[in-house]
Amino acid sequence: MTEQRQFGERDHEPLGGDDILSQAIGQWREETPAADLWPAVAARLEARTARHRRQLSFTLPQLAMAASLLIAVASGLTWLAASQPSVPVNAQPTVVAQSEAAGEVEGGIVNANFADAQFNAAVTDLEQILRDERGRLDPRTVLVIERNLKTIDLAIQEARTALNDDPANAYLNSHLADARRRKLDLLRHATTLASAGGD
Amino acid sequence: MPVDDVVLATQGDAAAFERVYRAHMQRIFNLARRMAGPDAADELTQDVFVRAWQKLALFRGESSFATWLHRLAVNVIIERFRTLGTARERFLADSEAVLEISPAARTKHLDLSMDLQTAIEQLPHGARTVFVLHDVEGYKHEEIGDILGVSAGTSKSQLHRARQTLRGLLMKERRQTT
Repeated sequence: MTEQRQFGERDHEPLGGDDILSQAIGQWREETPAADLWPAVAARLEARTARHRRQLSFTLPQLAMAASLLIAVASGLTWLAASQPSVPVNAQPTVVAQSEAAGEVEGGIVNANFADAQFNAAVTDLEQILRDERGRLDPRTVLVIERNLKTIDLAIQEARTALNDDPANAYLNSHLADARRRKLDLLRHATTLASAGGD
Repeated sequence: MPVDDVVLATQGDAAAFERVYRAHMQRIFNLARRMAGPDAADELTQDVFVRAWQKLALFRGESSFATWLHRLAVNVIIERFRTLGTARERFLADSEAVLEISPAARTKHLDLSMDLQTAIEQLPHGARTVFVLHDVEGYKHEEIGDILGVSAGTSKSQLHRARQTLRGLLMKERRQTT
């Protein structure tokens, strides 16, 4: 009698207790690894954790959240600035420059310098590095970076336009300085990530 | 193992995760050994726990942690087969390939100490996977089909053929020992 006839064409149901396979499975001994595998597992987890820490400041959800926050802040401040009457320069609150490139505080008030050479040079350098290194980044990451840069550039442009009408507006100056700082931060994070070999 | 260890591990507690590992390692190691063979078992076991650490946040407690981990382990092992490019083709091939004993087995004298572990290593990955999941681990054909991306009918036919091959090998061994 062939094996196939002995066990039937539909031999895919649970095994009978007297089946040689059933007996073999019952006797199939459990084994343990020859060595403790935990140190290797722990090392791999640590390596992943360290890598994650390096990238922590630049995850996709964080970028998305930053963009959302920026849009919200930009909209809110622009609306606020536009809806408030201008006040004399001397009566305005002190605005501390948030951008490293925003210039020195003079008389307690900082007007954003649109043509700030230091800021522009830094942005130019970082953008060049990013262009050179973008091939090392995941295309999705590049997409998010570019989208966020566009968002920030739009915020900067809107702030500049508003400041053309109201150059002494403290809120707009602060907003512009903040947007420029964000742009520099984003470019720095992106170039660091690219230099590290991408994600 | 206290249930709390899974919760703590989910929050990033590495010491708790080590306790989780120690509680489940034996079962996962043997699953990997049976599905992929002893040579690959160590590395696959590590892979499973690294993946588990990454995916812990997705564990919602809808099934027991052991069940969740077991299913994750099966997926990791299947992925390895697919990476090697050996499993899916075997599953989908409407051939008698699974009945063929590997060339090494045909030419090698099957010694008296051959047990089920040795016999199962003569099977292709796909047939071995179906056999281990169904007859050893208790999965249903529909579940196996879902995991492997094949129909339940394919799982049944592969199991039928795997059983035939294994019975032949085991009976041959029995005849040689008596």
